[in-house]
Amino acid sequence: MPTQQTNHPLPPGFQLDRYRIERQLSLGGFSIVYLAYDEDGTPVAIKEYLPNSLALRADGQVAPAIADEHLGAFRHGMKCFFEEGRALAHLSHPNVVRVLNFFRANETVYMVMQYERGRTLQEHIHKHRGEIRETFVRNVFARLLNGLREVHAQKLLHLDIKPSNIYLRTDGNPVLLDFGAARQALRTDGPMLKPMYTPGFAAPEQYKAPEDMGPWTDIYAVGASMYACLAGGAPQAADKRLERDALQPAEKRWADKYSKQLLQVVDWCMVLDSAQRPASVFVLQRALAERHHVVHEPSWLDNLGQSLKVLLRK
Amino acid sequence: MKFTIYQESRIGQRRNNQDRIAHCYSRDALLMVLADGMGGHLHGEVAAQITVQYLTEHFQREARPHLDDPLQFLGSGLANAHNAILDYAVERDLPDAPRTTCVACIIQDNLAYWAHVGDSRLYLLRDRRIHTRTRDHSRVQMMVDDGLITEEQALHHPARNRVYACLGGDLSPQIEFSRKTPLLAGDTIVICSDGFWSPLGNEALVQGYARGSVMAMTPQLMDTAEKLGGEGQDNLSVVAVTWEDDYSGDPTTMTIETQTMPLNAHTTLMEGFDKARLRDTELTDDDIERAIAEIRNAINKFSK
Repeated sequence: MPTQQTNHPLPPGFQLDRYRIERQLSLGGFSIVYLAYDEDGTPVAIKEYLPNSLALRADGQVAPAIADEHLGAFRHGMKCFFEEGRALAHLSHPNVVRVLNFFRANETVYMVMQYERGRTLQEHIHKHRGEIRETFVRNVFARLLNGLREVHAQKLLHLDIKPSNIYLRTDGNPVLLDFGAARQALRTDGPMLKPMYTPGFAAPEQYKAPEDMGPWTDIYAVGASMYACLAGGAPQAADKRLERDALQPAEKRWADKYSKQLLQVVDWCMVLDSAQRPASVFVLQRALAERHHVVHEPSWLDNLGQSLKVLLRK
Repeated sequence: MKFTIYQESRIGQRRNNQDRIAHCYSRDALLMVLADGMGGHLHGEVAAQITVQYLTEHFQREARPHLDDPLQFLGSGLANAHNAILDYAVERDLPDAPRTTCVACIIQDNLAYWAHVGDSRLYLLRDRRIHTRTRDHSRVQMMVDDGLITEEQALHHPARNRVYACLGGDLSPQIEFSRKTPLLAGDTIVICSDGFWSPLGNEALVQGYARGSVMAMTPQLMDTAEKLGGEGQDNLSVVAVTWEDDYSGDPTTMTIETQTMPLNAHTTLMEGFDKARLRDTELTDDDIERAIAEIRNAINKFSK
């Protein structure tokens, strides 16, 4: 296995095509994401294809150094990057990050995306740990699933859905970000581009049986993200669950706090056997919408209890 | 030989068509073949293309104009197609061999022979009923066979797309062969990909073909399948033939009469080959420019 290298980002102020780099937003195994401004001063997020196991950019350099023996793999990964760009370019959905431009420079390629203001669902969860309401979960995920349905319709799997990849715009509308894992993860045996999975959110088949991946793989991650909203943190990782499943079903854990129906849907998404999960986003949406009207609404008694709690806290 | 044949392949709602179909006949024998490249795997369409191309070339070599042993022909054809896919993967240094399902059928001397791998199907329709059909090599078919779920439930089962046998891939293929099956005049054989049978279901398929000729009904049934499949519609492909051993057939239908063909002549019709450029894994500078131009084009088109 190649030793892990760290790539140096392009410096602030760097003029990249018609964009000026402001700062680095994130650094992943396959790419660097920058905040930049175009000539009109509009902020954009630019993703630079730069797999750190194949291409190394030293401090102060612009073009990465790519060893000859890695050139094939580097180009292959570039193809995956194109796949991501191509799929996203065909998607115009308010709940999926929008691609604005695509260009080649510095011996690699760049994808320009709309820059979203707001915060990630993960930040939101941390801030409101244990206090996230059912309506919030339903609203965020109902809209997010609309976007994911479009993604799947383009024959693309996201494969890295997690609260930190779900962005909440300031108006509360969620946006699905970072499709970097999407195609790369379909290749598992090349040592150069290892699949990435995020423990807690990756489905068991991502570890064990990548040929079994399908919409249900993203659905596991959606369930785990909902679970994380309720729990305030990531659930037990799927590979650990396969060894010894210590994940407490949502239906048991929060029976007094959320509607049974929501909890059952969360548990259904997180079933270890992929064949037993909702097969498509559509099925999941239908399950979420079903009997929505009987969702537990606070009665006067609950309200009384709430008021009492408030009184007691004071 | 006298028969009416129709074939069509549609993309559905997908970005590319990984289905490949062809039929091919000599004076004495007819070959129909369909391969459905496996989407999750790289180059699924290449695997499908290699398979269909290999089988039709194999047919042209062997059917002169008679095939000595149709089942042996199918067996060696599919096994060699599998090897050709692996060779392709090795040549291009692909870490994972591309995969495809396949169903192929030979008709000769009023007898039908077929072989399949995966979940592409063959239906033999007789007297407005399914006389016989292939069993999918899929987990759900196993569950149906074990009585765990019904056929109807299988159509909607989440694992319905998962097949355990294919051409290409690491394991040598498990090919399933039919018996030698005598055909009667009016029998219809339909080979199709799961994008066709899955949304449609057996019942609609049988009733559809009972209403008219394969030429008229195949496009209509494909329309129906696409409607039912909705926005997730997979590629769908069909090759359908009606066997007409007698001469009472409607003279207005486009019946193919092979009796007048010279002994070494073959007619081959393949679909989708223009779109099916074998893509090289080596990405050249031109490829990069083209990919970027294509993405920019899509951005402009979809941002409006």
